[in-house]
Amino acid sequence: MTDLLFLAFAAVTIGAAILAIEARDLVYGAAALGIAFLGVAGLFFLLDAAYVGWFQIAVYIGAVVVLILFTVMLVGPKMGEAPLGLKRVSLLAAILVSLLLGMTGALANATAFPGKDSCGSGCDLYLLSTSLLKNYGVQLEFMSLVMAAAVIGALALSKTDRGP
Amino acid sequence: MEPLSSFFAVSVILLGIGIYGLTTKRNAIRILFSVELIYNAANLNLIAFARLRNPPIVTGQVLVLFTIALAAMEAAVGLSIIILVSRLNAEIDLSKLSKLKG
Repeated sequence: MTDLLFLAFAAVTIGAAILAIEARDLVYGAAALGIAFLGVAGLFFLLDAAYVGWFQIAVYIGAVVVLILFTVMLVGPKMGEAPLGLKRVSLLAAILVSLLLGMTGALANATAFPGKDSCGSGCDLYLLSTSLLKNYGVQLEFMSLVMAAAVIGALALSKTDRGP
Repeated sequence: MEPLSSFFAVSVILLGIGIYGLTTKRNAIRILFSVELIYNAANLNLIAFARLRNPPIVTGQVLVLFTIALAAMEAAVGLSIIILVSRLNAEIDLSKLSKLKG
């Protein structure tokens, strides 16, 4: 079972990564990149790093891919090539993604967070959060500072009154 | 459980795809894709290596949490630079861009 899941996640990850680089349309590329991120999250689940897997899904698929899609739209159709048409490829991709999502969800249910009562001092999430706050608290605060700086920098960069 | 070396193999393949994209593509957004793929290869490597010790340690996972957050910020700043460049130069082909002055 785990071998099969590993093979599936690895194949989907590598195939989607190649597609993300090689797809002619940037929108297809961004979607394939999201699928590759999902596959990597599945590999994280297989490695018993459930929290990191969920973090990966939330940040990469929820934020980075959406950001990339918005950028592709803002930059305009002259750089992204052909407009999207619903073809058999998209149907295949939809089936693939739903399959992958289902597998990820099933795996997350099976191996993710244990119940509240079983989450003792040996629990992975407990260990992770304790280590994050006790040993790496200063680094965490610096990370928030860097994040604030990055957001302000991005805003300052995008806000320009000079035209082309 | 798969042996950890197969996870390292996937990580190396992802790194290879990322480097291939970095070297052959000229679209700035595509190059950002490649950088994200390389980030993912590094994250996978870190998580797998954190499993190598017995008992497993969580330091690798903490590091990966930081890396994912940093990668998101890098994507935000990089994409805003791409939007700015596309507005100033009307193209994002990196081989045709020679100045980054606003």
